[in-house]
Amino acid sequence: MILDLILPRRSKYYVAAFALLGTLFSLAPLVVQWVNYTNPIYAFEDSFVVDKFSIIFKGLFILITYLTFLLSINFIESDKYYQGEYYYLLLSSLLGALIVSSSRDLLTIFIGIELASTPMFLLSGWKKGDRKSNEGAIKFFLLGVLSASLILYGFSLLYGLTGKIVFSEISTFIINGALQSSPVLLLSAILVISGLGFKISIVPFHSWAPDTYEGAPLPVTAYLSVSSKATGFVALIILLTKVFSSAGESWGVILAIIAGLTMTLGNLVALQQSNPVRLLAYSSIAQAGFILAPLAVAGITGNFQDGIFASVTYLIIYAFMNLGAFLSVQLFSNHAGSTNFYEWGGIAKKSPITGVLTTIFFFSLAGIPPLGGWFAKFVVFRSMLSTGEPIGLTLGIVGAVNAVIALVYYARISKVIWMDELKDVDSENSFQFESPLKVVGVFTVLITFISGIFPGIFSYLGEVSSIFFGN
Amino acid sequence: MEILTNGVGLSAVVFFPLVSALVITLIPKSQEFLIKGFALVSSIITFVFSVLLLLEFDFSSADKLQLGNKISWIKSINANYEIGIDGISLPLLVLSTFITVLAIIYSIEHLPEPKSPKGFLALILVLETGMNGTFVALDLILFFVFFEIVLLPMYFMIGIWGDRTVRTVAGFKNQIETRLYASIKFFVFTLFGSAFMLLGFLGLYYRGNKTFSIPELIELGSAGAFTGTFATLVFAVLFLGFAVKVPMWPLHTWLPDAHTAAPTVGSVLLAAILLKLGSYGFVRIAIPILPEQAKAWAPAIAILSAIGIIYGSLACLAQTDLKRLIAFSSVGHMGFVMLGIASLTPIGINAAMIGMVAHGVITGLLFFLSGSMAHTYHTRDMGRLGGNMKLLPKTGALLGFTAMASLGLPGLAGFWGEFMALLGAYNPLDGLNVTVFRTSMVAGAVGTVLTAGYLLWMLQRVNLGEPSEEWMDKELHDADAYELAAWIPLVILTILIGVFPKLIFGATNDAVIAMLSKAFGG
Repeated sequence: MILDLILPRRSKYYVAAFALLGTLFSLAPLVVQWVNYTNPIYAFEDSFVVDKFSIIFKGLFILITYLTFLLSINFIESDKYYQGEYYYLLLSSLLGALIVSSSRDLLTIFIGIELASTPMFLLSGWKKGDRKSNEGAIKFFLLGVLSASLILYGFSLLYGLTGKIVFSEISTFIINGALQSSPVLLLSAILVISGLGFKISIVPFHSWAPDTYEGAPLPVTAYLSVSSKATGFVALIILLTKVFSSAGESWGVILAIIAGLTMTLGNLVALQQSNPVRLLAYSSIAQAGFILAPLAVAGITGNFQDGIFASVTYLIIYAFMNLGAFLSVQLFSNHAGSTNFYEWGGIAKKSPITGVLTTIFFFSLAGIPPLGGWFAKFVVFRSMLSTGEPIGLTLGIVGAVNAVIALVYYARISKVIWMDELKDVDSENSFQFESPLKVVGVFTVLITFISGIFPGIFSYLGEVSSIFFGN
Repeated sequence: MEILTNGVGLSAVVFFPLVSALVITLIPKSQEFLIKGFALVSSIITFVFSVLLLLEFDFSSADKLQLGNKISWIKSINANYEIGIDGISLPLLVLSTFITVLAIIYSIEHLPEPKSPKGFLALILVLETGMNGTFVALDLILFFVFFEIVLLPMYFMIGIWGDRTVRTVAGFKNQIETRLYASIKFFVFTLFGSAFMLLGFLGLYYRGNKTFSIPELIELGSAGAFTGTFATLVFAVLFLGFAVKVPMWPLHTWLPDAHTAAPTVGSVLLAAILLKLGSYGFVRIAIPILPEQAKAWAPAIAILSAIGIIYGSLACLAQTDLKRLIAFSSVGHMGFVMLGIASLTPIGINAAMIGMVAHGVITGLLFFLSGSMAHTYHTRDMGRLGGNMKLLPKTGALLGFTAMASLGLPGLAGFWGEFMALLGAYNPLDGLNVTVFRTSMVAGAVGTVLTAGYLLWMLQRVNLGEPSEEWMDKELHDADAYELAAWIPLVILTILIGVFPKLIFGATNDAVIAMLSKAFGG
């Protein structure tokens, strides 16, 4: 159990190869745990747990980090950055994410969250000479500190109310003391949601994301939009279900409004973008709205099993298709030397494979069958409508309209690269598709297709989330 | 043969084209002959499969779902891979595989700019998987997936191989190429409808014992499981999803743009098969599952269909572009199909079924002809065309024939759909508002006159008269062997269905009667 935490750390002083091996190797204990799994194992007085939920997310985080390393190799070498530190920081962030997925008390989860996000402040400013990178990093840092303090404040209220730090004790205390409708509890939930809202970039806490995404090196952006977001969501899922579940009706409504606003605002602003990274930033804000919505509905209806199933499934599919989308953006913007995708006219003809990849990932993000994104959207709609609650129905309609809006900008990239005329500005520039990137491409495409055609593989998640909520 | 009856054959009809498309993407671009040959052979194999299924199909129990199978697909949401065909889907399935073969034959020599047969043929085959899949799917989620799969290939077909004329579109600052505007408009309209349709499917799922199986939901629906506001809402969203696809007035605006912009083969497939996915959805899903709501909505559907018929014909009279005229004529013809469906009587829905097939054959052929003429003359402006009979005698003769078929000349395929739809509307299902339906019938009858009017006028402008100076000294090529190979089968089919409508009714009639008696009793 501890092995998978230690291994990535050991590799900290070595370069890429060792980092890659380390992350891959650290999957092994997870597999063993999965195979031998019987019951959740608790450690450190119930504050750390290994259950199927945590194993799944640890696997996801490690895979994402692995793919991010592959994305980074050429990128980092090409600019002579500090390689060792780069990998070390990413691994530290991974460690934080791993801690979060197993944590069951206030302190552990806070340490996990901060360990996951602090290295990202540095990494997002990695392009030292670039003013945008610096600007993005500073914004990210300031808001990150604010979010940490909000979370801490929320936790301290919770501690003040109950005097406990372990989740199971807190939640028992709340139920025994009939504190479900206590305003302090609600305030604490709102503070925690706000604090984590920065991590998962939901409206109105999203403003840092586009600038930071644009400034950071692309692999870091990919990591931020996938792994950091997933970490935030895991923390949120754990806290909402393990601590605040009894006050679900109050925070559920707030979350539902936030989710609706997040999708709508993210999509509407994304329509205006000409920079592919900013477009993906706003798209990832909109996607966060979709991931959040089932949790909101779950809070209101108390049907956590469907809600968590939907959010978790969405997160996993989203992670891979979004990584793929960043891969294709990285490939094309390197080749075109332009960060305005309107100048990519006809570029797919130069590398049809990259063109096809881009098309697959962006249409998967748009939720078109048979690509994975459709199932993600489907389970979200399913959980929204599960009980026929008016709020769920409203969210369903908002979501359906948003799915259509989103298609317009996702399709726009495909339109530009396939349908517009090829500009022969730098035609002597041959297309670079390095082999580490190919691995990422193959891997993400496979997952995108498999999850779309045989979504049955996600079935076990339903069972997992029920176990998760049962204990 | 067992593989035909246990669902393997049916699955092959659906997935063989997809597999072939994948193989085509692996063939190097330079091997053009191989690519074309392979696409043609695989589409023919798919067609042969569908004919074998036709032979295996038990017509004496055409009202039952046959040759299908049910395998668990997504356990967690109880969605299954459930397929099967009955008399309603069989003719459409065969039509789909047949038209695809003709589309590929035509594409061998007549690829629109920018050529690239590899991508084009692969997209046609992917499209075929989506179309065939929709007709055999008996699970709402499976249906939804196939229904959506057709979007991507058609989007790229219009967007890449479409019409490059630059035009000004209201709401856009800059001028935009027709293909770019039309492709995204097509996509957004259809997705809008189907996103809501999916919500409706989920509603049925939660009220219907958590099943997505269409036959099970039909049982529940005819037993009265879905009622009240809930059923009204669900029917409304299903209506939205299907009516956009049909398309019914006033949701039709994507159609003229998409048809005009699409490459010839794209228009053919769009008109012949894609539009049928919507009307098929009504017959397969919306009406049998929600019979009471269908009854409540039927007058509205009839009125919208009547408006569509009149509007489509009037719009045709105003067109100067040959292809756009045919596109608008689709709005009118699909209006007849929907009018037939709205009557909820055996005669009306049989009319709709034969109307769908006939429209697929006839309008498909019209798009082939107009596409070929646009290719020859480099214009579709009817003001400049003229004397086509003298310039291109073969194409001209076929155009004359097809226009006659399209206006519903008795003895040809188009007649039955229109005539019986009007009959159905004269005497709709008991309990429906007779005045509304008879008014719609009168409107439809006026529509047939207008249809005859614009088609004859079109013939006069395009086919007859003396060729203008413009074409005198140009060398114009009449239809070549590939074109004739694609067109003649459609001509034969038009005559056959016209003379022996039983070809279609033999399959559909029992199924339609069974469906209606289950839904409305008696």
